[in-house]
Amino acid sequence: MELREINYNKNEYVETASGNKVCRQTVLCGSQNIILQGKVIVQAEAIIRGDLANVRTGRYCIISKEAVIRPPYKKFSKGVAFFPLTMGDHVFVGERSVVSAAVVGSYVYIGKNCVIGRRCILKDCCLIEDNTVLAPETVVPPFTRYGGSPGTNIGDLPECQADLMVDFTRGYYQHFQPTKII
Amino acid sequence: MAHVVGPEVVKYACTCGLLKSISSLYFCRYCCQLRCGFCVCHEVDSHFCGKCCENLPSSEARLKKNRCGNCYICPSCQQELSTRIGSKGPSNPEDPKSTPKKMYYLSCLYCRWSSRDVGIPDQSAATGGWPDRENVNANRLQEIIEMYKAMVLAEKQQKEKDKKKQRGKYLSYTDRTGVTAAALRKRIGLPVDIQHSLLKAKPKEPEPAIAKEDVEDLPEELLTKPVNLTEVTTIEQRLLQIDLQPTTVEKLFPVHKQLSIKRSLRCRSCEHNVSKPEYNPNSVKFKIQLFAYYHVPEIRIVTVEPLRAGRPSELIIKFTNPTQHQTTITILSLVLSGDENEVKEETGDQPSLPQEKQPPSLSSQPSSLLSLSSRQPSITIKPRPVSQEVNADVAIPSSKVILPPRDDAAEYDDSGDTHNIQDDPKLVVWRKSNKAFVKLLVTPKQGLALNTEIVAGFTMQHIYTNTIATTVENREPDKHDHNIRVFLTLGNLVGFD
Repeated sequence: MELREINYNKNEYVETASGNKVCRQTVLCGSQNIILQGKVIVQAEAIIRGDLANVRTGRYCIISKEAVIRPPYKKFSKGVAFFPLTMGDHVFVGERSVVSAAVVGSYVYIGKNCVIGRRCILKDCCLIEDNTVLAPETVVPPFTRYGGSPGTNIGDLPECQADLMVDFTRGYYQHFQPTKII
Repeated sequence: MAHVVGPEVVKYACTCGLLKSISSLYFCRYCCQLRCGFCVCHEVDSHFCGKCCENLPSSEARLKKNRCGNCYICPSCQQELSTRIGSKGPSNPEDPKSTPKKMYYLSCLYCRWSSRDVGIPDQSAATGGWPDRENVNANRLQEIIEMYKAMVLAEKQQKEKDKKKQRGKYLSYTDRTGVTAAALRKRIGLPVDIQHSLLKAKPKEPEPAIAKEDVEDLPEELLTKPVNLTEVTTIEQRLLQIDLQPTTVEKLFPVHKQLSIKRSLRCRSCEHNVSKPEYNPNSVKFKIQLFAYYHVPEIRIVTVEPLRAGRPSELIIKFTNPTQHQTTITILSLVLSGDENEVKEETGDQPSLPQEKQPPSLSSQPSSLLSLSSRQPSITIKPRPVSQEVNADVAIPSSKVILPPRDDAAEYDDSGDTHNIQDDPKLVVWRKSNKAFVKLLVTPKQGLALNTEIVAGFTMQHIYTNTIATTVENREPDKHDHNIRVFLTLGNLVGFD
């Protein structure tokens, strides 16, 4: 199916010079530590915890409503340390998902209501289905589909997944338009 | 919503007759045919571990029983185990200032199982060195495997010998005189049938298993003691360690992680590769990528009017040209849908080549391409009839749709490029760069029950430009028509006319 037009209220969103569209009703802690590479959409009530560590996204990332991007921590004998979270290009994070991964590769699709445990590594071209709980420190190899709780490999992805994701995120960005006032 | 998630509503019929979405199809440009995962040969390119992403040569992978040497999964919940550090007193007890000695243990971060639970001693090195459980029956299994290997070898030799015997053209003198080797042996008093020393060496048979008379009594605890399910392993846990099959949780041992593979795909008719990944396990690029998504126009449903039996509803679909060449799309009626008997006959009579199914318009195919198929096809694929039922008619438009080539720069071009294409305004609703939105009329058939799923189908003919330099003198890219049957699931019937 072709994507429908997704309309937003122009007053609620800030559009930067590089094409990022960020909702005003988001919680961006430590905004000096958050780098959005361009054409990134951050939707209402999303939380990005830049105060814990650096968060860096690629181009054409979509962070849906109520998603939480939270850098992972690691316990040491003397306390806790947070590690930066990097995200590749063309990544989709579904609604109400909590992402605490160390690395999210490019062309990754994370469904709704997922929990990506701390210090997970999602390689390029993988897909996490809706309602998945990934155990901490899981590595998701390329071209795999993970689902369930705990998340396990439940299938493969087509070889052209990278292009499908490029097409999907680009299409999403193009269809994400302000409501026209007549 | 794209092909990433969501239902597959547009399906293409593969040459073999199966219906697939475009993302799971391949396009062999040597045969100019669609191929699905079932009509290509799958070959293992490389083995790698999904956790540490280490490549293993196939011989080593076989030696390690297709498991990674360093990575383990939890025997309790099958998640990956991670190595934890547990310090254990100072390395030098006399010197209180010395740094504590680091000890490592395995722990599952999901179910909290740890290697300390089952009494595996902590290791001083972070990777490897974990003790492997020896199978008590390992020797016996090895013996049996060796015997079967020897048997296979002996059989092979026997076969070769038989072949040699048959091939013997020359009459030997003993056959004429009646003095055969066997008769000679008998005369001089040797045992009758002595075979060649190689063949004689019968595989050494292991000791046969001996049946026991006395069997252990049923332990009474099983009947008297209440079962503590937290201590008993599940079937999955037992089958994960097939050689030990632990019955209680204290016998669970970490399991080596199974390796994954990268595979290349090969067209079965022409033996050309249609997909070959790069060697690096982390890479998502391909050396050869003949996916249908890059060669065949993509169709997406944009909108459908509510479907009523017997009444035409408007359907808007979007065509996208993924290639670097202009193409023309013609919508034809579905050839193989109406009379299924005819389909079966056709496929039954002409099992030879799927190409014969194509309409005569393919005669424009240049001979250079035919000469290329001099390689004998390894397996001919019998096309099967499409099992999908179609319960709606598509009004076939008379005009064609021209799709300009794909242009990656067009995304940044805001000027409304129209390519000056004269479109039939009844057919093409809107177009942008390499995409066109096309309006079709669909009429669900009369007499269908409410909420029936409506499936419409048509044949899409597109001009495929083949860019393989077939011969030196033929530099012009070949253009020919390619027909694909497309099935659209439009939704449920909402009413009647």
